[in-house]
Amino acid sequence: MKFSLNWLREFVELPNDAGQLAELLTFAGVETEQIEQRGADFENVVVAQIKSSEQHPNADRLSVCIVEDGSGETRQIVCGAKNYKVDDKVPLARPGAVLADNLKIKASKLRGVESQGMLCSAKELGLAEDAAGLLILSPEARIGAPIGELFPNDTILDVEITPNRSDLLSHYGLAREIAALTRKPLRGLQMAEPATGAGASVQISAPNECPFYSARRIENVTVDSSPAWLRAKLEAVGIRPINVVVDIANFVMLEIGQPLHVFDGDKLRGGINVRLALPNERMLALDGRSYKFRGDELLVADLEGAVGIAGVMGGEESGVTPATRNVLLESAYFLPRSVRRTARNLNLPSDASYRFERGVDPAMVLRASQHAAQLIAELAGGTPARETIVAGTLPAPPPGFSLRYARCDELVGTRVEPAEADRILEGFGLQKLGGTNEQSTWRIPSYRTDLRREVDLIEEIVRVFGINRIPSADRSRFTPVSTADRRYDFEMELRNKLVARGFSEVRTSVLIGRDSLGKEFVPTAVELRNPLSEDHVALRPSLLPGLLAVLERNVRAGAKSIRLFEIGRVFLPPTGEETRGLALLLCGEAMSRPHWRDRNVRRLDLYDLKGALAALGLGDVALRRVESAQFSLGIEVSLNEKRLGIAGQLLSMQSRANGPVFVAEMDLPNEIGISQGTPKFHELQRFPSVSRDIALIAPEELSHAEILAVIKGAREALLAAVELFDLFSGEGAENIGAGRKSLAYSLTYQDKNRTLTSEDVSAAHARVRERLKSELGVELRE
Amino acid sequence: MTHPLEELREVALAEIAVAPDEETIEAARVRYLGRTGSISAWGERMKSLPKEEKPIVGKLLNEVRGAVTLAIEERGAKLRAAQEASALADLDISLPGTPNEIGALHPLTQMLDRAIAIFRRMGFALAEGPDVEDEWHCFDALNTPPDHPARAEQDTFYLPDGHLLRTHTSTVQIRTMESAPPPIRVIAPGAAFRRDEVDATHSAQFHQIEGLYVDERVSVADLKGTLEFFFHELFGPGTEVRFRPHYFPFTEPSFEIDVKSKALKSGEKWIEVCGCGMVHPAVFEEVNRARRDAAYDPEKWTGYAFGLGMDRLAMILFDISDIRLFAQNDLRFLKQFAA
Repeated sequence: MKFSLNWLREFVELPNDAGQLAELLTFAGVETEQIEQRGADFENVVVAQIKSSEQHPNADRLSVCIVEDGSGETRQIVCGAKNYKVDDKVPLARPGAVLADNLKIKASKLRGVESQGMLCSAKELGLAEDAAGLLILSPEARIGAPIGELFPNDTILDVEITPNRSDLLSHYGLAREIAALTRKPLRGLQMAEPATGAGASVQISAPNECPFYSARRIENVTVDSSPAWLRAKLEAVGIRPINVVVDIANFVMLEIGQPLHVFDGDKLRGGINVRLALPNERMLALDGRSYKFRGDELLVADLEGAVGIAGVMGGEESGVTPATRNVLLESAYFLPRSVRRTARNLNLPSDASYRFERGVDPAMVLRASQHAAQLIAELAGGTPARETIVAGTLPAPPPGFSLRYARCDELVGTRVEPAEADRILEGFGLQKLGGTNEQSTWRIPSYRTDLRREVDLIEEIVRVFGINRIPSADRSRFTPVSTADRRYDFEMELRNKLVARGFSEVRTSVLIGRDSLGKEFVPTAVELRNPLSEDHVALRPSLLPGLLAVLERNVRAGAKSIRLFEIGRVFLPPTGEETRGLALLLCGEAMSRPHWRDRNVRRLDLYDLKGALAALGLGDVALRRVESAQFSLGIEVSLNEKRLGIAGQLLSMQSRANGPVFVAEMDLPNEIGISQGTPKFHELQRFPSVSRDIALIAPEELSHAEILAVIKGAREALLAAVELFDLFSGEGAENIGAGRKSLAYSLTYQDKNRTLTSEDVSAAHARVRERLKSELGVELRE
Repeated sequence: MTHPLEELREVALAEIAVAPDEETIEAARVRYLGRTGSISAWGERMKSLPKEEKPIVGKLLNEVRGAVTLAIEERGAKLRAAQEASALADLDISLPGTPNEIGALHPLTQMLDRAIAIFRRMGFALAEGPDVEDEWHCFDALNTPPDHPARAEQDTFYLPDGHLLRTHTSTVQIRTMESAPPPIRVIAPGAAFRRDEVDATHSAQFHQIEGLYVDERVSVADLKGTLEFFFHELFGPGTEVRFRPHYFPFTEPSFEIDVKSKALKSGEKWIEVCGCGMVHPAVFEEVNRARRDAAYDPEKWTGYAFGLGMDRLAMILFDISDIRLFAQNDLRFLKQFAA
């Protein structure tokens, strides 16, 4: 909310410097977001009246005006604006004036016609960012008056009022807070309560939503534009002046926080009834839109129908216009819950609903009505009815409660002397009803509906006591490791392993775009009921759409070697059940840049993916070929016979990458990471090992796994390890023949109890060779 | 008068000292120390010496043999070293080293990991809760009933079944207290979601670390000390930390924290980094209702809670200007954060 310092000064003495005030408020929990200077107090700029306007003889776009500036003589001014008419009052900058942006005004000739100054727009006076045409002043503006009288210098604070502090949503309210914080006197409001009486003309049919309603008739008003001081006050805090009656209602709201509404009394049929809407009832509101109601909105109605949405916005048809003669002034207490529901149902927040939702001060409802009635009498010449008609009862002030000083000390963490605590609370208008050294009982003022229990009082004390006076403690506590701790460590370990293998971690949103839905990895997904943009419409059931999008972005950016992974949550339809997963993606060259030692650029392939999976160290991960619609080569990944996920080479149509793309996606259930045990030491082998190689030529379709199984045999006790160290096939392979491949294995023999003899090794090796020949029929090379 | 052995030593040492290669040294060794070498010959000659001279010459012989042997070894080692070095003299050490393709942890992960490490040193355990939540955990249990002005349904993503995406990680406070009695000392890193227009500082999904400490006599002083320590560890000991009173429905009193550090790009500017406060007794009461016990008796237990915006902290720490870079995952961006 915007506050004018000039306005606040009417109630309390302010620090000289606006920055100081902003800081004071900020450290009391009322954050100042912006400080803005306003006003147009320029020398040599005065109110002038346009007496005539002629077309400029030499320029189509210019006019030549004769204006009167109060000096007794008229002036000729050349003007480029079109938005004025003769007799309008406008700001005149006389020669010698220096305007906003250091614009210096002097007498000059424009296209051959003399101009003795300039007529100004709001922009030239620094009153607006932008302006089309002249600033048209109020008709009552005195000709010759310095412009600073109409636009006095002021400082505007834009302040964030937290939702609990409805009492600060007015100038008087903020001034009251400043007075408490600075221990300066508050100039009280001189407002009496009006005489009231019950009457058939006001009735509340929805007492659960509207505890109290008042209406006062004011006759014979003249609805003109407001005087300059009133317009200036509203404009200073960003409210557009409309007419004197509406402006007074807004003024009272901004001054003391009570929203008011004024009806054209002659447009109302019968008395006022505050009731709930009927289902499908409609009303045209002051914003020019027609609203249809559900049935739980609170309305102000007359005999014929709704004339206002209670606490939110008035009706267009009963609104005050220049033709209005008699008005009905509404001041009510609508329940916060009801106004909030209504404003939300209709998606229609307003300055009034903002205040009612947060709770207005019951003590101000009738005083605001009286204040407005007096102003309408004064400024619009109306005659208020002697009595204000009321229905219902105002909510009782909040109940008092106790403060235990020891409890305060304990929660704050330092000693706050009871006298200081008392002084702080009294400063905020709380009244001490009694107490001892240990505790005290307090009466809460009607406007502090946020103070409901002891801790709220402690909060008030802390705000003023100052957090700087509270010591910093370094208290800790031993905590055993949690499941989440283990899970975090496990996943960080996986991340670090992958990073060490050249994979970069990506983090994509769990919300996926409309364009992913129904596609390969997202046959179904849990969709949001109220998405905001097409980019975020559903919860991802898989990490792969995100990774593929990242792949695409990087391919477009020219990346040559792409290794990506993501670890994160996925959401399984139809319920959105959350599990955690890991996905990998590989595409392009093995090295991201060429290097002098490796002239042959190798492309990343399935074995890089397989190697990465093995490097995760999850255990004995088994791979099995499966048919899959998305893969040209699909592989099921499982661990301990349990399916973990899918991997393989994507069909080329699945991505725009220039080359094969390899992906894997796996679940990371809790059991995997958390069950991993502590490694145990195995005795080092004391006796030397012996290595022998076997080279063989096999048909292409014979797999490494089949060969390995035969090499290891059923019981080859001395065989400690087998490694494939060479493989070639295809065109470049000489002397092998089509459809065949050459493989070479290194076999390591070892016994843990003795040094092997050459005979031992030869015998075992011969058995392996024999098995390969007899069981697989492969050709052994010497 | 010098003994002939001493002369022999001088000659041998002089010769060895200038031996140009290993062959020459080997030849010298044979000539002096070989079976028929000129020094070895003195072994025979000893036998014919008078008895009283024997120990003197014997000692001298040992000295000379030792000195020459040592000189030969040293000269040989020096020559071999020089030879190895000369073989490598032309190796171009300015050539690029063998590359290792190393990836990078996402900067948000790095940020989270740094923060988590600091809190773990302070004795916090990790906790977690779901992204898909119900209204009770996200609002009601946190003292934000349906008619509360701070309950921002229009800023919340809903699922068709009435569940929602949590708007803050404070839901984990409730989840943790539901599942275990006090004392509680946890942090919960996680995602949160806001239905907000995306721009350079706002994204639909953001990341927080929630903290909760419930114990006997936990005070504002404990909260202050904990978070001051955290920010000093994170941004350096010269960091200034200030607490401003604020309002959150689920803490009372509540604060926002601003930090300022010359080490950061923001320099002299205060930057808002955290919301925190003392757990509102109404939250404990609501948890008790859900637990159907009085484990969290607000008269016995007090606590503090805080929420840190990790995207913002990462942007400050790494000088990142646009939050959208985090979700774009451009490798040129990610690789800047490689270890």
